[in-house]
Amino acid sequence: MQTKTLPCPISLQQDKKGRMKIAVKSKSSIAIRWTIISLIMLTILAFFTLERKEIEVGTAIVDTFHNFATAFFHPKLHYLTFGKMLYQLAVTFSLGALSTIIGALIAFFCSLLCAGNISNPKVATVVKAFVSFIRAVPTILWVLIFAVSAGVGSIAAVVGLTFHSISYLVKAYAESIEEIDNGTIEALKASGASYWQIVFQAILPSSMSLMLSWTFMRFEINFANAVAIGAAAGAGGIGYDLFMSGSFYFDLQETGYLTIVIVIAVILLEMISTKVKERIK
Amino acid sequence: MALLEFKNVNKMYNGETRALNDVNFSVNRGEFVSIIGASGAGKSTLLRSVNRLIDVDTGEILFDGKEITKLNKKDLRSVRTQVGMIFQHYNLVNRLSVLENVLHGRLGQKSVFSGAIGKYTEDEKQEAFEILKLLGLAEQAYKRCDELSGGQKQRVGIARAIMQRPKLILCDEPIASLDPSSAKVIMDHLKEINQKMQITCLVNLHQVDVAKNYSERIIGVNAGRIVYDGSPENLTRQEIHRIYGSKTGDLITDMEEK
Repeated sequence: MQTKTLPCPISLQQDKKGRMKIAVKSKSSIAIRWTIISLIMLTILAFFTLERKEIEVGTAIVDTFHNFATAFFHPKLHYLTFGKMLYQLAVTFSLGALSTIIGALIAFFCSLLCAGNISNPKVATVVKAFVSFIRAVPTILWVLIFAVSAGVGSIAAVVGLTFHSISYLVKAYAESIEEIDNGTIEALKASGASYWQIVFQAILPSSMSLMLSWTFMRFEINFANAVAIGAAAGAGGIGYDLFMSGSFYFDLQETGYLTIVIVIAVILLEMISTKVKERIK
Repeated sequence: MALLEFKNVNKMYNGETRALNDVNFSVNRGEFVSIIGASGAGKSTLLRSVNRLIDVDTGEILFDGKEITKLNKKDLRSVRTQVGMIFQHYNLVNRLSVLENVLHGRLGQKSVFSGAIGKYTEDEKQEAFEILKLLGLAEQAYKRCDELSGGQKQRVGIARAIMQRPKLILCDEPIASLDPSSAKVIMDHLKEINQKMQITCLVNLHQVDVAKNYSERIIGVNAGRIVYDGSPENLTRQEIHRIYGSKTGDLITDMEEK
């Protein structure tokens, strides 16, 4: 096909072999190509430079799958009783719930300062910057930072989890508030309502369902974090038992059992929160 | 005696757009006054400067004999409780019930706390329900506002304004989003409130014929200036064209009169 004979004023570009191009190389496509090429090179290089010692790759893979099979197909509790495990699960649940509730309350008031449509723009910028700084540091790091002053344990865990929850929820809440129709706020202002009356009579009812769904989302995250922090910061709960069975007793069956219980708990939470979100609209 | 008086009021946006240009007029108690003019002529600014949702730059605005442009927060709120407002997009809290939205009209007159938690007296609830009955919305009292039609929502808006027991009601294009039959219901209710309750009405309108039919006086605004202030009878086609800055035959009202 000869592009030059086409009546349109601009003809398609051709590559070196004379075929028509369907896209032109841009800076970003070149960057993406080089990123992928270098990642592939690094991966190949890594395989050749691995220090294998006397481990054979084949046996190692088979053994790993064998471990998985032991953990997940023959789960069994040895050191814990079922009741004790449920209790530890409740501890983890409480860590997540407590940090979410405290975080949500504080975040609500902070988000009033942060939402562009109801607050002073200068204050909003300062609060937003502060909150995004907190958010940039991972939750676990905050827990470890608070462990310096509060000691390793549940207090540091709750404070750290709460701290990060606040920063996350402030952003989410502020965005929910910004979605409210400004007319509603204007109408109450025009009738002489005061700031707190507008907050509780117009802003809260209008953004409640969005805020609640964000809060549930954060609760799921906090539950997962509480599992990890149970081990990392000695906050207790099922995460700590998981850590003990895995790295202390080397009990694969119990590790598998606890993992399955946590997965089921997370799925249940997810299902409940979906149901609740459907109810509040 | 004048309830509302504007004296040499000026307002500029971004230092270039003149929204109000040396505005002088007064509204007497019990009057039904319409403001007409093209979009962007300054009608909304004019209305919103009365309850200071927008602050003017210079000039005096007297409401009930009180200069309001320099009031502090507390006094401003007390003036606002005496001025009801109705909006084009109703501006109700959609997730709350009709009754709750009507009761919002009383918020400014309650203590901050009991208003914030939504605690109303039995008398207030009864009064809100009576107002709803008057507007034919008694059956909708417990419905959520997002279940209502546009015309019903606007009636809730009116009920909320009446709940304030206002001296003046400002209506910012109350029928611009409504079909002709709901629009008539709303205008009839406004007229009724004006006559029976002696509440002064100041209404922004796009429909010249509606303004002519319902108001005792019409104010025409063009580029922030009042270019007409008089009775509907004296509003000739020439005057209308002067208000809208258009040529004969360019307006939709010209078509009806042919």
